[in-house]
Amino acid sequence: MVKKIPIGPFHPVLEEPEFFELHVDGERVVGLDMTIGWSHRGIELLSEHKTWDQVPFLVERVCGICSCSHPYAYVKAVEDLLQIEVPLRAQLIRCIAAELERLHSHLLWTGLAGHFLGYNTVFMWTWKFREPVLDVLEAVTGNRNHYAVMRPGGVRRDLPEEEIPNILKLLDSLEKNNAMLTKAILDDPVIHARTKGVGVFPKDKCRLYGALGPTARSAGLDIDDRRDHPIDAYSKVKFDVILCQNGDVFDKAVVRQLENFESIKIIRQCLKLFADTKPGDICTEINEVPPGEGIGVYEAPRGEVLHYVRSNGGNMPIRHKIRAPSFNNILTNEVSVIGNTVADAGLITAAVDPCYSCTERVGIVDRRDGSRRVLTEKDLVRLSHEKTEEIRKRFARQSGRG
Amino acid sequence: MEREEVKRRLAERFGDKLKIAERSPKRVFVYAENEIWVDLARFLFDDLGARYDTGLAVDDRDGVEVMFFFPFDKEDFFVTMKTFATKPHPVLDSITPVCPGAKWIEREMFEMYEVTFRNHPDLRPLLRADMMPPDYYPARREAKDEHETVRERDDGDWMAGQVFGESPNGENP
Repeated sequence: MVKKIPIGPFHPVLEEPEFFELHVDGERVVGLDMTIGWSHRGIELLSEHKTWDQVPFLVERVCGICSCSHPYAYVKAVEDLLQIEVPLRAQLIRCIAAELERLHSHLLWTGLAGHFLGYNTVFMWTWKFREPVLDVLEAVTGNRNHYAVMRPGGVRRDLPEEEIPNILKLLDSLEKNNAMLTKAILDDPVIHARTKGVGVFPKDKCRLYGALGPTARSAGLDIDDRRDHPIDAYSKVKFDVILCQNGDVFDKAVVRQLENFESIKIIRQCLKLFADTKPGDICTEINEVPPGEGIGVYEAPRGEVLHYVRSNGGNMPIRHKIRAPSFNNILTNEVSVIGNTVADAGLITAAVDPCYSCTERVGIVDRRDGSRRVLTEKDLVRLSHEKTEEIRKRFARQSGRG
Repeated sequence: MEREEVKRRLAERFGDKLKIAERSPKRVFVYAENEIWVDLARFLFDDLGARYDTGLAVDDRDGVEVMFFFPFDKEDFFVTMKTFATKPHPVLDSITPVCPGAKWIEREMFEMYEVTFRNHPDLRPLLRADMMPPDYYPARREAKDEHETVRERDDGDWMAGQVFGESPNGENP
């Protein structure tokens, strides 16, 4: 007999609405039904009522974290339709803003994962290190979030050159802090016990489910749009694509932590290339958009963002499709959660760094008697903390300290 | 696999059942007939080794255009396969037996555009609210037309009265 446990419509870890119905046999999850759509805002339809220049402001509101990636993919789709090149300076500003966004997104995820495991120190550290990144984003784009920097043909705002030393200073301190954080997290035996072999999503399944970003790379699927479909300045910089093999929660954390170093590398190279550019040369003017269709892709922190636009020669897109990476990644939970315990389910669903507002809730039903119970966020966090505490005590006993 | 090689093998395998158009060196569009839809997806995904990305539907007067993206990552180009499912009730074979990742996007196309996918394991609506009538497909132009009319009629004057109070002249200031 299998019990069904409803979790949601508020997600156990993040504050966004989603609904998972866990089918459990005792404590073991044997089935999962996901319902999304609780925050469907009809952005694709809204976009068809905005001019080409207004759409970036709309699509950066698809997600507060990926508020650079969505407009980036959109402007690339428009530029694909028009077949135009943007000035080098604009390309570099786009890359810098996008990589700073990746840094703050990965740090945010690590912090939340730490909190969920019961490591609030990790949470405090990462959020402390993330704060200066947001400050630099403000210096570069004018805003801490919703940067409003992208426009078809280039960027809206030139990077003030006096900010470059500040950015370099931030990168130095962030590199040191990230190294310390990575070592502390990856050396911790309790984190190993809690995340290794948990929520495994294998490589062959990644291909079948179209998994993207760190979810795919943690299982060894070698895809990264920054390298495979290089846009703008990405073809001019050198960086490594981080790959792991096991596809569990631990490897997903490793991929994200190590990617931070690559982002730092990319930003430094972009800043070096800045010397060859002319201040103010940041946009190619676009007079009209001919009929046609364009596809734009960009590797967001969570994976590939895809935007598709179609024009009939007017001043608005007649069709605009937005595919956030979470749309593909959340579906992978139907494989990775099965066989794990309820205490791990929240951690696994959080490990793909889900973004439900981009895509769009959990209930538990016992298959033995068909009874239902609802777990609140507090319950799930408590279950997760209890498990970590148990492992911690066991480790202490083994080392004779308990 | 190189772009030219992909185009040659597609033409070889399906002959006149598909048309290939190239808009730019990185974008190849393949227009296929409904009957070869799943075979084409299987050929691209299993035989040619493309990655499954996502799909979308575009509403048209006579039918719904459905397309799926299959990027070739090593060679930096996208193959987009397209077909046209005719109205009033568009029907198409599901590609989920080939790529299970297409489950959600096909459910979305069904609830938004009424494209019924044969052989889909679980064709329930995905995003829309439970209280919407089951035969209402919000992204269809017929539904949009209805929506526009409603919006014109309901221009918010009744609400202005409630918020600011009725003006002494009988008109809202």
